[in-house]
Amino acid sequence: MKKALLVLVVGLVAVSLFAAGGTDANAGGAADAKAGGGKITLMQNKPEIDPMLKAYSAIWTKANGTEVVIKSIGGTAGGIGQQLKADYAAGDMPDIFAFDGIESYKEWEALILDLSAEPWVSKTAVAFKKDGKVYGFPVAVEGWGMAYNADMLAKAGIDPKTLVNLAGYKAAFEKLDKMKAELGVNSVVSMAASVEMGWVTADHNFNSLLSNGLPYGDLSVTNALLAGNVDDTRLGEYADWVELLFKYADKGVLTTGNYDSQVGAFATGKAVFLHQGNWTDPNMKAANATFKMAFAPHGSMKKATDGIFVAAPSFYAINKESKNVAAAKKYLADLVATPEGNKYMVTDAGMIPAYSNVTLQPTGMLSQSVQSWAAAGKVYSWNQYNFSSDFRQKTLIPIYNQFATGQISKAQFVDLMKKAFIANKK
Amino acid sequence: MNKKRENSAIFWLFLSPVLLAFLLVIIVPFFMGVFYSFTNWSSSARADNALRFIGLTNFTGSFKDPAFGYSFGVTILYTILNMIFINFVAFALALLVTSQLKLRNIYRVGFFVPNLIGGLILGYIWQFIFNNAIPSLGKIFDFLAFLNVPENLILSKNTTAMLALVAVGTWQYAGYIMMIYIAAIENVPVELHEAAKIDGATPFTRLMKITIPMAAQAFTVTTFLTLVNSFKQFDVNVSLTSGGPSTIFMSKPILGTELLALNIYNTAFISNNLAMGQARAVIFFLVLAIIALIQVYVNKKKELEL
Repeated sequence: MKKALLVLVVGLVAVSLFAAGGTDANAGGAADAKAGGGKITLMQNKPEIDPMLKAYSAIWTKANGTEVVIKSIGGTAGGIGQQLKADYAAGDMPDIFAFDGIESYKEWEALILDLSAEPWVSKTAVAFKKDGKVYGFPVAVEGWGMAYNADMLAKAGIDPKTLVNLAGYKAAFEKLDKMKAELGVNSVVSMAASVEMGWVTADHNFNSLLSNGLPYGDLSVTNALLAGNVDDTRLGEYADWVELLFKYADKGVLTTGNYDSQVGAFATGKAVFLHQGNWTDPNMKAANATFKMAFAPHGSMKKATDGIFVAAPSFYAINKESKNVAAAKKYLADLVATPEGNKYMVTDAGMIPAYSNVTLQPTGMLSQSVQSWAAAGKVYSWNQYNFSSDFRQKTLIPIYNQFATGQISKAQFVDLMKKAFIANKK
Repeated sequence: MNKKRENSAIFWLFLSPVLLAFLLVIIVPFFMGVFYSFTNWSSSARADNALRFIGLTNFTGSFKDPAFGYSFGVTILYTILNMIFINFVAFALALLVTSQLKLRNIYRVGFFVPNLIGGLILGYIWQFIFNNAIPSLGKIFDFLAFLNVPENLILSKNTTAMLALVAVGTWQYAGYIMMIYIAAIENVPVELHEAAKIDGATPFTRLMKITIPMAAQAFTVTTFLTLVNSFKQFDVNVSLTSGGPSTIFMSKPILGTELLALNIYNTAFISNNLAMGQARAVIFFLVLAIIALIQVYVNKKKELEL
């Protein structure tokens, strides 16, 4: 009796284990057999385009026979990196995954396939490159500057062309501040600097210090700061710019607001300027914002800087160890080469295409503004991802937040920034 | 004898699925975690990703980080405040719903419901209340106008943001603790109260001399639960404050309401330093285990033996 029971125990445990492990394997096998060409998994970081990407992938699967599984992980900076680490530890790394720049590239360096020979490489200027080789497929082009409500500027008699430097912005902000009641706005600028919105300050605004006014791809200031060498004049002018933005922002939105309250203030006509990028187009549409809007350059310097910050926000990398490298390569190539792929990127997902052969146009006004700046060649690069997320999130966010809540003065802000760069020196 | 063996076999048979699960998802990962805390483990494919032992570097590095020390301090403060508030509110609610109140069963359910809402959602709801609903009161009523001043926003300052965390924690958890108190209060023999009444004891005396001592066992459980839960607070912290607003500690700008669990998470996934995050989790475990053991020991001594 005892033995019989023991056997039963062991048997039950074994069966339950195999059953648990086996279901997955069987399911995978069945899918493989059905599709004929196996399966590729794509993990990306834009939950807002998840349904469009899935719809496109279904069409692509029909034509190519390979099943595509889309995993969308959103959230703040840690989001996708965290999931990738979990999946990597579990031995379930996706075949294609998104990364945002050099620091996250380094996390996966040993796994990222060289894509230099792909057909789309010659059609884009913003692929992720390192040491002359292409490693990342640019997902789209995005840009930010100071989004403005053109109707209100016209009403106030301000020419957007004057918004290219500190003096231009100072004059405009002062004038608009006096006209707040007349324009029906709560504040001149919709700016966010809470810890939750730290990416607006410590990523986007921070980049003004790194690349404004420099030739595209110029890393001189970035590398100097990484080495702990601070240009006092540049940092001083930048601090004036940050102070100006914080001073004319709605204090509630600035210190405690989230994305919705920041973007909402501009979309509902409660602010003249918005410190965000063209990804807010869907929010504008959702809020029925019908006024004319466009981007003006950042005024972080005394000299005129006539351009906005435009680059690819993230790149798809192919996993070297994937069993379906060929299918993964074709999937990415087809996004660029087929009309269905183009339609998904531009018409459905509303992204600005990163490829010269794509003729479709996004419909959002801010996206169109980014395109016209890019077409004129008036663009500055995104250099913020050359700093580690540790530095941006744990050091810079608290500094900006201190300044925004008025707990430190401008002089202390400059001092803390300087100390932070020196402490960050490797 | 044979019967006894059979019984014990059945005992292990029914226990084995749980034991196995416990072993696989608690015990094994725990020891793997301790192991990883002494290495440079990153769970990523860096160019140089060989697993190396680096001794106590992760531990010493943690103690040198002002943000970690600060997190310890705020977490202890938060835990103390939370324990006091939750237990006080929960006990008061329990007394209320065990009295001769009309509709007391509906109140019981009502007080318990917040516990069923996930912490993340709860945090966002309260963020809306603190950032939008409360200031709008200031717009409607003139005498509350100070609420609408941006400088007075509850989440814009460290001290008030901390109290906001405590308020939300209490709102969420008091109903659950209340249930435990209700059970304890209802178990107090009626005769004791009747005898005391005949002797002329006031309701307050009866509460202090009968109800509370008789419910001492419940206090052991509730203080333990609130202690451990407050110490491990994560989801409300993420969604309500994200660790903000910032502050300056040891002349370094850091996050002002970053509790330990969030600090561990940020170390692991924002700073991409999983091994150091793991080392902090080990420290966290040790400290929490010691505090909890002391608390249970002290409370047990106070329990009445019936």
